[in-house]
Amino acid sequence: MSPPMAKPVPTEVNHVRARDKVRITWSDGHFWEYPLAYLRGYCPCALCQGHGASDEKKFVSVPDAKLAEIRPVGNYALEFRWQDGHNTGIYTFDYLRSLCRCPQCGPAEPGPEKERSHEHGNQGRGL
Amino acid sequence: MLGIFGKLDWKGKQMAIATNETVLEALKKVQDPEIHRDIVSLGMVKDLKINNGAVSFTVELTTPACPLKDRIQEDCNKALAHLEGVSNVEIAFGSQVRGSKVGAGPTDLLPTVKNVILVASGKGGVGKSTVASNLAVALNKLGAATGLLDADIYGPSVPILMGIKEDPKKISVNGGVKLAPPVVHGIPVMSIGFFLEPEQAVIWRGPMLGKALHQLMADVHWGDLDYLVVDMPPGTGDVQITFSQQLKVSGAVLVSTPQNVALADVIRAKTMFDKVMIPIVGLIENMSYFICDGCHKKHEIFSRGGAERAAEKFNIPFLGAVPLMPSITEGGDKGVPILIQDPQSEISKVFLDIASKLAGQLSIASEASSRTESLRIVSS
Repeated sequence: MSPPMAKPVPTEVNHVRARDKVRITWSDGHFWEYPLAYLRGYCPCALCQGHGASDEKKFVSVPDAKLAEIRPVGNYALEFRWQDGHNTGIYTFDYLRSLCRCPQCGPAEPGPEKERSHEHGNQGRGL
Repeated sequence: MLGIFGKLDWKGKQMAIATNETVLEALKKVQDPEIHRDIVSLGMVKDLKINNGAVSFTVELTTPACPLKDRIQEDCNKALAHLEGVSNVEIAFGSQVRGSKVGAGPTDLLPTVKNVILVASGKGGVGKSTVASNLAVALNKLGAATGLLDADIYGPSVPILMGIKEDPKKISVNGGVKLAPPVVHGIPVMSIGFFLEPEQAVIWRGPMLGKALHQLMADVHWGDLDYLVVDMPPGTGDVQITFSQQLKVSGAVLVSTPQNVALADVIRAKTMFDKVMIPIVGLIENMSYFICDGCHKKHEIFSRGGAERAAEKFNIPFLGAVPLMPSITEGGDKGVPILIQDPQSEISKVFLDIASKLAGQLSIASEASSRTESLRIVSS
Protein backbone atom coordinates (compact mmCIF):
# COMPACT_ATOMS: atom_id res chain seq x y z
CA MET A 1 0.00 0.00 0.00
CA SER A 2 1.43 3.34 -0.99
CA PRO A 3 1.56 5.90 1.77
CA PRO A 4 -0.70 8.38 0.03
CA MET A 5 -0.30 11.14 2.57
CA ALA A 6 3.46 11.00 2.97
CA LYS A 7 3.79 14.55 1.70
CA PRO A 8 3.53 17.23 4.37
CA VAL A 9 0.11 18.87 4.52
CA PRO A 10 -1.08 21.89 6.46
CA THR A 11 -2.71 21.07 9.79
CA GLU A 12 -3.57 24.63 10.74
CA VAL A 13 -4.02 27.80 8.75
CA ASN A 14 -4.38 30.88 10.90
CA HIS A 15 -5.17 34.30 9.49
CA VAL A 16 -3.37 36.53 11.98
CA ARG A 17 -5.21 39.77 11.31
CA ALA A 18 -3.14 41.90 13.65
CA ARG A 19 0.03 41.23 11.68
CA ASP A 20 -1.50 40.87 8.18
CA LYS A 21 -0.06 37.40 7.96
CA VAL A 22 -1.22 33.83 7.46
CA ARG A 23 0.45 31.31 9.71
CA ILE A 24 0.56 27.81 8.23
CA THR A 25 1.52 24.87 10.42
CA TRP A 26 2.46 21.65 8.60
CA SER A 27 2.11 17.99 9.52
CA ASP A 28 5.91 17.68 9.72
CA GLY A 29 6.24 20.54 12.18
CA HIS A 30 7.22 23.34 9.82
CA PHE A 31 5.46 26.63 10.38
CA TRP A 32 5.81 30.09 8.96
CA GLU A 33 3.85 33.31 8.84
CA TYR A 34 3.27 34.26 5.22
CA PRO A 35 2.87 38.02 4.78
CA LEU A 36 -0.41 38.73 2.97
CA ALA A 37 1.31 40.79 0.27
CA TYR A 38 3.70 37.89 -0.36
CA LEU A 39 0.82 35.38 -0.72
CA ARG A 40 -1.16 37.69 -2.95
CA GLY A 41 1.90 38.55 -5.00
CA TYR A 42 2.49 34.89 -5.78
CA CYS A 43 -1.18 34.16 -6.56
CA PRO A 44 -1.07 31.08 -8.82
CA CYS A 45 -4.09 31.93 -10.96
CA ALA A 46 -3.83 32.46 -14.68
CA LEU A 47 -4.77 36.12 -14.38
CA CYS A 48 -1.70 36.71 -12.21
CA GLN A 49 0.71 34.17 -13.68
CA GLY A 50 -0.36 34.43 -17.32
CA HIS A 51 -0.54 31.58 -19.79
CA GLY A 52 3.11 31.48 -20.70
CA ALA A 53 5.12 28.29 -20.60
CA SER A 54 7.63 29.66 -18.12
CA ASP A 55 7.92 27.80 -14.84
CA GLU A 56 9.19 30.86 -13.10
CA LYS A 57 6.79 32.31 -10.58
CA LYS A 58 5.75 35.87 -11.26
CA PHE A 59 5.27 38.31 -8.45
CA VAL A 60 2.41 40.75 -8.91
CA SER A 61 2.68 43.44 -6.30
CA VAL A 62 -0.49 44.30 -4.40
CA PRO A 63 1.12 45.85 -1.31
CA ASP A 64 -2.00 46.43 0.80
CA ALA A 65 -3.73 43.14 0.02
CA LYS A 66 -6.28 42.16 2.65
CA LEU A 67 -7.83 38.74 3.05
CA ALA A 68 -11.58 38.24 3.18
CA GLU A 69 -11.71 34.47 3.60
CA ILE A 70 -9.71 31.26 3.37
CA ARG A 71 -11.50 28.17 2.08
CA PRO A 72 -10.29 24.62 1.69
CA VAL A 73 -10.39 23.11 -1.80
CA GLY A 74 -10.91 19.36 -1.80
CA ASN A 75 -8.02 17.59 -0.17
CA TYR A 76 -5.17 19.42 -1.80
CA ALA A 77 -5.43 23.17 -1.84
CA LEU A 78 -6.62 26.43 -0.30
CA GLU A 79 -8.54 29.23 -1.91
CA PHE A 80 -7.70 32.73 -0.73
CA ARG A 81 -10.48 35.26 -1.25
CA TRP A 82 -9.21 38.82 -1.17
CA GLN A 83 -11.11 41.91 -0.14
CA ASP A 84 -10.70 43.47 -3.60
CA GLY A 85 -12.74 40.59 -5.00
CA HIS A 86 -9.83 38.59 -6.44
CA ASN A 87 -10.57 34.92 -5.76
CA THR A 88 -9.31 32.88 -8.68
CA GLY A 89 -6.16 31.53 -7.04
CA ILE A 90 -6.16 27.89 -5.93
CA TYR A 91 -3.01 27.44 -3.87
CA THR A 92 -2.12 23.75 -3.78
CA PHE A 93 -0.44 22.52 -0.60
CA ASP A 94 2.71 21.76 -2.62
CA TYR A 95 2.74 25.28 -3.97
CA LEU A 96 2.26 26.81 -0.51
CA ARG A 97 5.05 24.66 0.78
CA SER A 98 7.33 25.88 -1.99
CA LEU A 99 6.59 29.42 -0.82
CA CYS A 100 7.49 28.60 2.79
CA ARG A 101 10.45 30.64 4.04
CA CYS A 102 10.76 29.24 7.55
CA PRO A 103 14.32 28.90 8.86
CA GLN A 104 14.39 25.23 7.78
CA CYS A 105 13.24 26.01 4.25
CA GLY A 106 16.02 28.50 3.83
CA PRO A 107 16.28 32.19 3.22
CA ALA A 108 13.96 34.04 0.94
CA GLU A 109 14.63 33.65 -2.74
CA PRO A 110 14.56 36.92 -4.69
CA GLY A 111 11.31 37.56 -3.00
CA PRO A 112 8.63 40.11 -2.60
CA GLU A 113 10.08 41.87 0.41
CA LYS A 114 13.23 42.60 -1.51
CA GLU A 115 11.45 43.29 -4.74
CA ARG A 116 9.09 45.62 -3.07
CA SER A 117 11.73 47.55 -1.25
CA HIS A 118 13.55 47.70 -4.55
CA GLU A 119 10.47 49.15 -6.20
CA HIS A 120 10.05 51.59 -3.39
CA GLY A 121 13.69 52.48 -3.65
CA ASN A 122 13.27 53.19 -7.32
CA GLN A 123 10.27 55.29 -6.59
CA GLY A 124 12.27 57.09 -3.98
CA ARG A 125 14.92 57.88 -6.53
CA GLY A 126 12.29 59.11 -8.88
CA LEU A 127 13.08 56.52 -11.57
CA MET B 1 -9.32 -13.45 52.22
CA LEU B 2 -8.78 -15.81 49.34
CA GLY B 3 -11.94 -14.53 47.75
CA ILE B 4 -10.25 -11.67 46.04
CA PHE B 5 -7.55 -13.89 44.58
CA GLY B 6 -9.76 -16.59 43.23
CA LYS B 7 -11.32 -19.91 43.99
CA LEU B 8 -9.44 -22.84 45.34
CA ASP B 9 -9.48 -26.01 43.33
CA TRP B 10 -9.84 -29.38 45.00
CA LYS B 11 -6.14 -29.56 45.74
CA GLY B 12 -6.31 -26.27 47.48
CA LYS B 13 -4.23 -24.63 44.72
CA GLN B 14 -5.34 -21.23 43.62
CA MET B 15 -7.09 -21.32 40.27
CA ALA B 16 -6.87 -18.32 37.97
CA ILE B 17 -10.07 -16.84 36.80
CA ALA B 18 -10.36 -15.24 33.41
CA THR B 19 -11.42 -11.65 33.70
CA ASN B 20 -12.21 -9.00 31.11
CA GLU B 21 -8.71 -7.63 31.68
CA THR B 22 -6.86 -10.91 31.18
CA VAL B 23 -8.91 -11.81 28.12
CA LEU B 24 -8.43 -8.40 26.51
CA GLU B 25 -4.74 -8.51 27.33
CA ALA B 26 -4.47 -11.86 25.54
CA LEU B 27 -6.50 -10.63 22.59
CA LYS B 28 -4.06 -7.76 22.14
CA LYS B 29 -1.83 -10.34 20.49
CA VAL B 30 -4.33 -10.62 17.65
CA GLN B 31 -3.68 -8.18 14.85
CA ASP B 32 -6.02 -7.06 12.16
CA PRO B 33 -4.08 -8.54 9.25
CA GLU B 34 -4.69 -5.52 7.06
CA ILE B 35 -4.48 -2.59 9.40
CA HIS B 36 -1.59 -4.15 11.36
CA ARG B 37 -2.81 -3.06 14.74
CA ASP B 38 -4.28 -5.20 17.45
CA ILE B 39 -8.01 -5.71 17.46
CA VAL B 40 -8.41 -4.52 21.04
CA SER B 41 -6.95 -1.06 20.54
CA LEU B 42 -8.84 -0.81 17.25
CA GLY B 43 -12.01 -1.22 19.29
CA MET B 44 -13.09 -4.29 17.36
CA VAL B 45 -13.83 -6.48 20.40
CA LYS B 46 -17.39 -5.98 21.57
CA ASP B 47 -19.85 -7.60 24.00
CA LEU B 48 -17.21 -9.49 25.93
CA LYS B 49 -18.87 -11.87 28.39
CA ILE B 50 -17.23 -14.32 30.73
CA ASN B 51 -19.30 -16.88 32.53
CA ASN B 52 -17.49 -19.56 34.55
CA GLY B 53 -14.62 -19.70 32.10
CA ALA B 54 -16.84 -19.56 29.04
CA VAL B 55 -15.69 -16.54 27.06
CA SER B 56 -17.85 -15.02 24.35
CA PHE B 57 -17.41 -11.85 22.35
CA THR B 58 -18.12 -10.26 19.00
CA VAL B 59 -15.42 -9.14 16.63
CA GLU B 60 -16.69 -6.09 14.83
CA LEU B 61 -15.05 -6.20 11.43
CA THR B 62 -14.38 -2.98 9.58
CA THR B 63 -16.36 -4.30 6.62
CA PRO B 64 -18.79 -7.15 6.06
CA ALA B 65 -16.74 -7.83 2.96
CA CYS B 66 -13.73 -8.70 5.15
CA PRO B 67 -11.61 -11.32 3.42
CA LEU B 68 -9.71 -12.23 6.57
CA LYS B 69 -12.46 -13.26 8.95
CA ASP B 70 -11.25 -16.85 9.24
CA ARG B 71 -7.75 -15.77 10.03
CA ILE B 72 -8.91 -13.39 12.77
CA GLN B 73 -11.05 -16.15 14.27
CA GLU B 74 -8.14 -18.59 14.25
CA ASP B 75 -5.80 -16.03 15.83
CA CYS B 76 -8.33 -15.25 18.57
CA ASN B 77 -8.71 -18.91 19.39
CA LYS B 78 -4.94 -19.32 19.52
CA ALA B 79 -4.50 -16.29 21.75
CA LEU B 80 -7.02 -17.59 24.26
CA ALA B 81 -6.10 -21.28 24.07
CA HIS B 82 -3.52 -21.10 26.83
CA LEU B 83 -5.10 -18.44 28.96
CA GLU B 84 -5.77 -19.78 32.41
CA GLY B 85 -9.35 -20.03 33.47
CA VAL B 86 -10.76 -20.17 29.94
CA SER B 87 -12.75 -23.30 29.22
CA ASN B 88 -14.61 -22.32 26.09
CA VAL B 89 -14.43 -19.56 23.49
CA GLU B 90 -17.27 -18.40 21.34
CA ILE B 91 -16.67 -15.74 18.72
CA ALA B 92 -19.37 -13.99 16.77
CA PHE B 93 -18.76 -11.62 13.89
CA GLY B 94 -20.42 -8.34 13.18
CA SER B 95 -19.40 -5.43 11.07
CA GLN B 96 -19.38 -1.71 11.22
CA VAL B 97 -18.01 -0.06 8.12
CA ARG B 98 -15.74 2.82 9.02
CA GLY B 99 -15.58 6.01 7.05
CA SER B 100 -12.43 6.80 5.15
CA LYS B 101 -13.29 9.99 3.40
CA VAL B 102 -10.59 12.60 3.30
CA GLY B 103 -10.91 16.25 2.48
CA ALA B 104 -11.10 19.52 4.24
CA GLY B 105 -14.28 20.84 2.68
CA PRO B 106 -16.42 22.83 5.09
CA THR B 107 -19.50 20.82 4.23
CA ASP B 108 -19.70 17.20 3.27
CA LEU B 109 -22.04 16.93 0.31
CA LEU B 110 -22.68 13.27 1.13
CA PRO B 111 -22.86 13.15 4.94
CA THR B 112 -24.73 9.84 5.07
CA VAL B 113 -22.19 8.02 2.91
CA LYS B 114 -19.23 6.51 4.75
CA ASN B 115 -16.95 5.74 1.82
CA VAL B 116 -16.88 7.27 -1.64
CA ILE B 117 -14.96 5.32 -4.26
CA LEU B 118 -14.17 6.84 -7.66
CA VAL B 119 -13.82 4.24 -10.41
CA ALA B 120 -11.64 5.89 -13.01
CA SER B 121 -9.48 5.24 -16.02
CA GLY B 122 -7.19 7.34 -18.10
CA LYS B 123 -9.07 6.53 -21.29
CA GLY B 124 -12.41 5.18 -22.44
CA GLY B 125 -13.30 1.71 -23.58
CA VAL B 126 -11.64 -0.24 -20.79
CA GLY B 127 -14.96 -1.43 -19.35
CA LYS B 128 -14.98 0.96 -16.46
CA SER B 129 -18.78 1.18 -16.23
CA THR B 130 -19.11 -2.61 -16.28
CA VAL B 131 -16.50 -2.89 -13.55
CA ALA B 132 -18.12 -0.13 -11.48
CA SER B 133 -21.61 -1.69 -11.71
CA ASN B 134 -20.43 -5.17 -10.83
CA LEU B 135 -18.26 -3.84 -8.02
CA ALA B 136 -21.31 -2.13 -6.51
CA VAL B 137 -23.33 -5.36 -6.82
CA ALA B 138 -20.47 -7.35 -5.28
CA LEU B 139 -20.13 -5.02 -2.27
CA ASN B 140 -23.88 -5.25 -1.79
CA LYS B 141 -23.76 -9.06 -1.99
CA LEU B 142 -21.05 -9.09 0.65
CA GLY B 143 -23.49 -7.35 2.97
CA ALA B 144 -22.58 -3.67 2.70
CA ALA B 145 -25.14 -0.96 1.93
CA THR B 146 -23.90 0.26 -1.43
CA GLY B 147 -24.99 2.90 -3.93
CA LEU B 148 -23.92 3.61 -7.48
CA LEU B 149 -23.47 7.05 -9.02
CA ASP B 150 -22.95 7.33 -12.74
CA ALA B 151 -21.02 10.52 -13.39
CA ASP B 152 -19.95 9.56 -16.89
CA ILE B 153 -21.36 12.56 -18.69
CA TYR B 154 -20.08 11.48 -22.08
CA GLY B 155 -21.69 8.07 -22.06
CA PRO B 156 -23.87 7.37 -19.04
CA SER B 157 -24.33 3.63 -19.46
CA VAL B 158 -25.15 2.59 -15.90
CA PRO B 159 -28.95 2.82 -16.37
CA ILE B 160 -28.66 0.28 -19.21
CA LEU B 161 -26.16 -1.96 -17.41
CA MET B 162 -28.34 -2.07 -14.30
CA GLY B 163 -31.62 -2.32 -16.20
CA ILE B 164 -33.25 0.79 -14.77
CA LYS B 165 -36.65 1.57 -16.22
CA GLU B 166 -37.87 4.28 -13.86
CA ASP B 167 -36.78 7.84 -13.26
CA PRO B 168 -35.79 9.18 -9.85
CA LYS B 169 -38.74 10.49 -7.85
CA LYS B 170 -39.02 13.78 -6.02
CA ILE B 171 -39.53 13.34 -2.31
CA SER B 172 -39.59 15.76 0.56
CA VAL B 173 -36.85 15.39 3.14
CA ASN B 174 -36.68 17.66 6.19
CA GLY B 175 -38.76 20.29 4.48
CA GLY B 176 -36.70 20.33 1.29
CA VAL B 177 -37.20 18.49 -2.00
CA LYS B 178 -34.73 15.78 -2.86
CA LEU B 179 -34.47 13.13 -5.52
CA ALA B 180 -34.90 9.51 -4.49
CA PRO B 181 -32.73 7.29 -6.66
CA PRO B 182 -34.37 4.21 -8.19
CA VAL B 183 -33.27 1.02 -6.44
CA VAL B 184 -32.32 -2.00 -8.55
CA HIS B 185 -30.82 -5.28 -7.39
CA GLY B 186 -30.75 -3.72 -3.91
CA ILE B 187 -28.68 -0.75 -5.02
CA PRO B 188 -29.79 2.89 -5.20
CA VAL B 189 -28.58 4.21 -8.53
CA MET B 190 -28.28 7.76 -9.78
CA SER B 191 -27.12 8.70 -13.23
CA ILE B 192 -26.55 11.91 -15.07
CA GLY B 193 -28.27 10.02 -17.89
CA PHE B 194 -31.64 10.41 -16.11
CA PHE B 195 -31.52 14.11 -16.88
CA LEU B 196 -30.75 13.82 -20.56
CA GLU B 197 -33.09 13.11 -23.40
CA PRO B 198 -32.29 9.77 -25.00
CA GLU B 199 -29.72 10.07 -27.75
CA GLN B 200 -28.89 13.59 -26.74
CA ALA B 201 -25.21 14.36 -26.39
CA VAL B 202 -23.79 16.31 -23.50
CA ILE B 203 -22.15 19.41 -24.89
CA TRP B 204 -21.90 21.32 -21.64
CA ARG B 205 -18.85 23.22 -20.67
CA GLY B 206 -17.18 23.39 -17.30
CA PRO B 207 -19.55 25.55 -15.23
CA MET B 208 -22.67 23.71 -16.44
CA LEU B 209 -21.08 20.40 -15.65
CA GLY B 210 -20.01 21.49 -12.21
CA LYS B 211 -23.56 22.52 -11.43
CA ALA B 212 -25.09 19.28 -12.70
CA LEU B 213 -22.62 17.19 -10.70
CA HIS B 214 -23.19 19.24 -7.61
CA GLN B 215 -26.91 18.46 -7.90
CA LEU B 216 -26.22 14.77 -8.37
CA MET B 217 -24.38 14.81 -5.08
CA ALA B 218 -26.22 17.33 -2.93
CA ASP B 219 -29.81 16.96 -4.11
CA VAL B 220 -30.02 13.18 -4.00
CA HIS B 221 -31.39 11.37 -0.98
CA TRP B 222 -28.92 8.51 -0.76
CA GLY B 223 -29.78 7.38 2.75
CA ASP B 224 -27.18 5.62 4.90
CA LEU B 225 -24.59 3.93 2.74
CA ASP B 226 -21.38 2.09 3.57
CA TYR B 227 -20.03 2.57 0.06
CA LEU B 228 -20.89 4.78 -2.87
CA VAL B 229 -19.26 3.63 -6.11
CA VAL B 230 -18.86 6.46 -8.62
CA ASP B 231 -18.46 5.64 -12.29
CA MET B 232 -16.29 8.49 -13.55
CA PRO B 233 -16.00 9.63 -17.14
CA PRO B 234 -12.71 8.62 -18.74
CA GLY B 235 -9.77 10.93 -18.70
CA THR B 236 -8.60 13.75 -16.53
CA GLY B 237 -11.01 16.59 -17.13
CA ASP B 238 -13.64 18.82 -15.60
CA VAL B 239 -15.59 16.09 -13.81
CA GLN B 240 -12.49 14.78 -12.06
CA ILE B 241 -11.55 18.28 -10.97
CA THR B 242 -15.08 19.01 -9.72
CA PHE B 243 -15.13 15.83 -7.66
CA SER B 244 -11.71 16.44 -6.21
CA GLN B 245 -12.66 19.97 -5.20
CA GLN B 246 -16.20 19.47 -3.93
CA LEU B 247 -16.42 15.96 -2.59
CA LYS B 248 -14.87 14.10 0.26
CA VAL B 249 -13.55 10.95 -1.34
CA SER B 250 -12.08 7.79 0.18
CA GLY B 251 -10.03 6.87 -2.82
CA ALA B 252 -9.88 6.07 -6.49
CA VAL B 253 -9.81 2.68 -8.17
CA LEU B 254 -8.15 2.63 -11.57
CA VAL B 255 -9.31 0.30 -14.32
CA SER B 256 -7.04 -0.68 -17.17
CA THR B 257 -6.65 -3.26 -19.89
CA PRO B 258 -3.36 -5.15 -20.09
CA GLN B 259 -1.86 -3.31 -23.06
CA ASN B 260 0.95 -0.86 -22.59
CA VAL B 261 -0.94 1.95 -24.22
CA ALA B 262 -3.77 1.62 -21.72
CA LEU B 263 -1.27 1.60 -18.89
CA ALA B 264 0.20 4.86 -20.08
CA ASP B 265 -3.25 6.29 -19.42
CA VAL B 266 -3.32 4.76 -15.97
CA ILE B 267 -0.15 6.64 -15.21
CA ARG B 268 -1.80 9.86 -16.37
CA ALA B 269 -4.78 9.20 -14.12
CA LYS B 270 -2.51 8.41 -11.22
CA THR B 271 -0.61 11.65 -11.69
CA MET B 272 -3.86 13.56 -11.60
CA PHE B 273 -5.13 11.90 -8.42
CA ASP B 274 -1.74 12.40 -6.79
CA LYS B 275 -1.95 16.07 -7.59
CA VAL B 276 -5.34 16.50 -5.92
CA MET B 277 -4.25 14.15 -3.12
CA ILE B 278 -6.92 11.52 -3.56
CA PRO B 279 -5.36 8.19 -2.57
CA ILE B 280 -5.42 5.42 -5.16
CA VAL B 281 -6.74 2.36 -3.36
CA GLY B 282 -6.38 -0.16 -6.15
CA LEU B 283 -5.89 -1.14 -9.76
CA ILE B 284 -8.13 -3.60 -11.60
CA GLU B 285 -7.14 -5.22 -14.87
CA ASN B 286 -10.12 -5.69 -17.14
CA MET B 287 -10.33 -7.84 -20.29
CA SER B 288 -7.43 -9.68 -18.78
CA TYR B 289 -7.96 -13.03 -20.46
CA PHE B 290 -10.59 -14.95 -22.39
CA ILE B 291 -11.85 -18.36 -21.43
CA CYS B 292 -12.92 -20.21 -24.56
CA ASP B 293 -16.37 -21.74 -24.16
CA GLY B 294 -15.27 -24.58 -26.45
CA CYS B 295 -11.95 -25.64 -25.00
CA HIS B 296 -12.11 -23.85 -21.59
CA LYS B 297 -8.55 -22.69 -22.12
CA LYS B 298 -7.36 -19.29 -20.87
CA HIS B 299 -6.35 -17.09 -23.79
CA GLU B 300 -4.43 -13.95 -22.92
CA ILE B 301 -5.44 -11.86 -25.87
CA PHE B 302 -3.81 -8.56 -24.97
CA SER B 303 -0.42 -9.58 -23.59
CA ARG B 304 -0.16 -10.59 -19.98
CA GLY B 305 0.05 -9.15 -16.50
CA GLY B 306 0.74 -5.59 -17.63
CA ALA B 307 -1.53 -3.97 -15.07
CA GLU B 308 -0.15 -6.06 -12.26
CA ARG B 309 3.38 -4.98 -13.15
CA ALA B 310 2.28 -1.35 -13.29
CA ALA B 311 0.56 -1.70 -9.92
CA GLU B 312 3.78 -3.03 -8.45
CA LYS B 313 5.85 -0.30 -10.04
CA PHE B 314 3.65 2.48 -8.68
CA ASN B 315 2.97 0.81 -5.37
CA ILE B 316 -0.78 0.53 -5.98
CA PRO B 317 -2.61 -2.50 -4.52
CA PHE B 318 -3.54 -4.86 -7.36
CA LEU B 319 -7.15 -5.88 -6.76
CA GLY B 320 -7.58 -8.48 -9.48
CA ALA B 321 -7.93 -9.43 -13.12
CA VAL B 322 -11.38 -9.60 -14.72
CA PRO B 323 -11.71 -11.98 -17.68
CA LEU B 324 -13.26 -11.01 -20.99
CA MET B 325 -16.42 -13.05 -21.40
CA PRO B 326 -19.42 -12.79 -23.67
CA SER B 327 -21.70 -13.37 -20.67
CA ILE B 328 -20.63 -10.13 -19.02
CA THR B 329 -21.59 -8.00 -22.01
CA GLU B 330 -24.80 -9.96 -22.53
CA GLY B 331 -25.69 -9.37 -18.89
CA GLY B 332 -24.93 -5.70 -19.34
CA ASP B 333 -27.08 -5.37 -22.42
CA LYS B 334 -29.99 -7.05 -20.66
CA GLY B 335 -29.56 -4.88 -17.59
CA VAL B 336 -28.73 -7.81 -15.34
CA PRO B 337 -25.20 -7.67 -13.97
CA ILE B 338 -23.35 -10.97 -14.18
CA LEU B 339 -23.29 -11.28 -10.38
CA ILE B 340 -27.07 -11.34 -10.34
CA GLN B 341 -27.51 -13.46 -13.43
CA ASP B 342 -24.89 -16.08 -12.69
CA PRO B 343 -23.53 -15.73 -9.14
CA GLN B 344 -21.60 -19.00 -9.38
CA SER B 345 -19.66 -18.10 -12.52
CA GLU B 346 -15.92 -17.58 -12.41
CA ILE B 347 -16.29 -13.91 -13.27
CA SER B 348 -18.72 -13.39 -10.37
CA LYS B 349 -16.20 -14.93 -8.00
CA VAL B 350 -13.55 -12.61 -9.40
CA PHE B 351 -15.73 -9.58 -8.68
CA LEU B 352 -16.53 -10.74 -5.13
CA ASP B 353 -12.83 -11.23 -4.51
CA ILE B 354 -11.99 -7.79 -5.89
CA ALA B 355 -14.75 -6.21 -3.79
CA SER B 356 -13.48 -7.74 -0.57
CA LYS B 357 -9.90 -6.71 -1.35
CA LEU B 358 -11.14 -3.19 -2.05
CA ALA B 359 -13.09 -3.14 1.22
CA GLY B 360 -9.89 -4.20 2.97
CA GLN B 361 -7.93 -1.37 1.38
CA LEU B 362 -10.62 1.09 2.44
CA SER B 363 -10.42 -0.17 6.02
CA ILE B 364 -6.70 0.55 5.89
CA ALA B 365 -7.40 3.99 4.45
CA SER B 366 -9.93 4.65 7.18
CA GLU B 367 -7.41 3.74 9.85
CA ALA B 368 -4.88 6.09 8.21
CA SER B 369 -7.36 8.94 7.85
CA SER B 370 -8.42 8.62 11.48
CA ARG B 371 -4.84 9.23 12.50
CA THR B 372 -4.13 12.19 10.25
CA GLU B 373 -4.94 15.52 11.73
CA SER B 374 -7.60 17.38 9.87
CA LEU B 375 -6.99 20.89 8.63
CA ARG B 376 -8.18 23.74 10.84
CA ILE B 377 -8.73 27.13 9.31
CA VAL B 378 -8.94 29.87 11.90
CA SER B 379 -8.55 33.57 12.20
CA SER B 380 -7.04 35.37 15.15
